[in-house]
Amino acid sequence: MVDVEEILDLAVEVGYHIQLAGGEIYRVEESVSRLLKAYGVETGEVFAIPNCLIASVHTGGREVTSMRRIPNHGTDIWKLEAMNGLCRKLCAMPLPVDQARSALQEELEGEKEYSQFVILLAHFFGAGMFTLFFGGSWRDAMCAGVCGAAIGLTVWWMDALRANLFIRTIAGGGVSALLALGLVAAGLGQSVDLVTIGALMTLVPGVALTNAVRDVMVGDMVSGLSKLAEAVLIGVAIALGTGLALGIAQMF
Amino acid sequence: MELTEVIQVFVLPCLWAFGACLAFAVIFNIHGLGMFICGAGGALGWLVYLLCSRPLGLGDMLSALLAGVSISVWSETMARLRKCPVTGYLLVAFFPLVPGGGIYYAMKFAIAGQTRNFGNTLMHTVEFAGALALGVLLVSSAVRMRRTVAERRRGQRYGAV
Repeated sequence: MVDVEEILDLAVEVGYHIQLAGGEIYRVEESVSRLLKAYGVETGEVFAIPNCLIASVHTGGREVTSMRRIPNHGTDIWKLEAMNGLCRKLCAMPLPVDQARSALQEELEGEKEYSQFVILLAHFFGAGMFTLFFGGSWRDAMCAGVCGAAIGLTVWWMDALRANLFIRTIAGGGVSALLALGLVAAGLGQSVDLVTIGALMTLVPGVALTNAVRDVMVGDMVSGLSKLAEAVLIGVAIALGTGLALGIAQMF
Repeated sequence: MELTEVIQVFVLPCLWAFGACLAFAVIFNIHGLGMFICGAGGALGWLVYLLCSRPLGLGDMLSALLAGVSISVWSETMARLRKCPVTGYLLVAFFPLVPGGGIYYAMKFAIAGQTRNFGNTLMHTVEFAGALALGVLLVSSAVRMRRTVAERRRGQRYGAV
């Protein structure tokens, strides 16, 4: 008889990492309960909301519960795919718990990440491409790229200061709008609007919106509504940040 | 329609959308083939939107809905083929359609004190996002229902054996 506590611990650990990588709520709940079932624990209940994961198992006349609080996190698709793959593998063929644990550790340590420079470059190209996409000229695209990279740097800096989402987005929007105004005033860019819109695409709440829809789809209203609130909040923050910068610029 | 016009109106924007999605895939830590799936999804969504709104004249909301549906179908298919979570492909492929410009112009009208324009732009932005979201919702729900049916059938078969 394998120790139920260890199984619960393993399942919750995998669920925790799925959620940390930006997995949807139903994916977290399903993964944990499938893992529990695969290891022969039939009585498990799993409950997750965006910042908390609880799993409880009833066994031998007692109740074992494990709860993990999920800190603020971004979206890391590579990790999500790795954890999802591991979960599939374990459900198809449950390894002994200690081996499963070392497999999990291996996946986490083998994490593939782009270097900071590459990510900044991606911000540059992403923003530039979006300006072209919205009908800007090549010069606008270059300026938008610079603004996009500036947003990337601002967001990192704000993360290092542990600023919340709202302040972070306001700062990002403000910096990019100011920079766009400066670049256009210097004669490098042609349209402040197109430069700013392209650069702002790195801040736009696309992730929150898509996740909100996917949560609502499976009936996780609590998670869906909180993600929807996040999307609206980000939208307001973008408007406030850029509005602030444009308003200040109008005064001069 | 002239060839140059076709390139201007249809080909180039989709190419930019493809490139932009490729870059955004890097930001979300997607590697290898997945990046190109995201890029193709983004380009496909925009192409569907353009085709629906220009030559077919279906109106903005319906076009957004159909674009949402096409991106979802593409992402769900690719996710099924590669046995990967659909989230990543869906998130990135949606970016070209997310109304970032709407938020910006609404804010500009608000600063300029043009209340009516502000209201119109804001409503349009919210409606557009809603139509897109409905598109994803429809496809994801259909996929989920199909899976439930498949699982039930499999369960019965096993039960009978």
